[in-house]
Amino acid sequence: MSEKVRKPKTPQQPAIRKPAARRKARWETPKMQDVSDEVMAQPYIRFT
Amino acid sequence: MSARIDSLEAPLLVTWQLTRDCDLACMHCCTESAPGKALAGELTRDEALRLAADIVANRVPYVMLCGGEPLVSPHFFDVAEALGAAGVALKIETNGQRLDAKAVRRLAALPVRSVQVSLDGDTQETYARQRAGGSLAKAHAACRALQAAGLPLEITFAPTRINIAEAEAVIGRARSFGAFRFNTGKLMRIGTAARHWRRLEPSEHQYREFRALLDRQAAIPGMELCYEPFRMEDGLRRSAAEPPATLLVLPNGWVKVAAALPHICADLRRMPLAEAWESYRNAWRSATVAAAAREAIAIEVRHERANAWQPLSVNA
Repeated sequence: MSEKVRKPKTPQQPAIRKPAARRKARWETPKMQDVSDEVMAQPYIRFT
Repeated sequence: MSARIDSLEAPLLVTWQLTRDCDLACMHCCTESAPGKALAGELTRDEALRLAADIVANRVPYVMLCGGEPLVSPHFFDVAEALGAAGVALKIETNGQRLDAKAVRRLAALPVRSVQVSLDGDTQETYARQRAGGSLAKAHAACRALQAAGLPLEITFAPTRINIAEAEAVIGRARSFGAFRFNTGKLMRIGTAARHWRRLEPSEHQYREFRALLDRQAAIPGMELCYEPFRMEDGLRRSAAEPPATLLVLPNGWVKVAAALPHICADLRRMPLAEAWESYRNAWRSATVAAAAREAIAIEVRHERANAWQPLSVNA
């Protein structure tokens, strides 16, 4: 994980670790509105 | 490759063949279903309910329950109700033989987006030639019961040399039942259909007439006609370019990469859905699947191998 480390101004001050800005979430939650008409209509096994 | 599936944390659709058992022995069946042909090692009721809970936990929005004939499965309603109670939208694919008023009432309590009934003929003689053991009257009664219950009805039609002359009558019948969609396409050369291919495959002329009929009917309002992609090869070409966010689950819990391909990328009896989803996404990146897809797109007869399942190693 990337992070910036600010050096202490005096020897007594502890180093402050500042986390990098949170990345945009990678994953989308699937939603019914994303199910296209084609997916709804075309079964992947069509003729049973 | 950056595909849509790589941004989704779960599939949009799980197409779940609950059983390979069926009460009919259809000549055109792509899953080789027939009476007594349950697959060895099909998921038990408890295993199926665990999978249903996993589907809910992963927030999959849409599940299609099919078979074989899904209503032959003794735990069909247990699974449908577990999913439906959690708000998962459902599609049911059925031959309609067991869909009586009581069954329709149970379905009407669930978030059902579609009940798809197969009508492969408009006369009992034609219907039963293609769907051995089937009663067209029962299938029609199921359609009427669904219509009366206000459930969304979809009709599917598998064109063959046997029934293609009745296609227009079946479309008219579907309209009379208030179906919202008529779903068809070129016959798939898979399973039982592949074995009977010479007796079933419509001629080029018949297909041209059929396409013209579908084009004419599509212009008439009131019912959607869904027949694109018309050929399995075209559907596979689209899938290769943009893999569908769909898991195709066999009755034993195996996950198939695509209907026209034999590759098995996951086993839901042994792994959670999230892991199966990852394996599926990896499968579409594999050279083996890419080569098999190219071959199946180019050579229709290769589809005959689709049910000779082959485990695929696609570890992340």
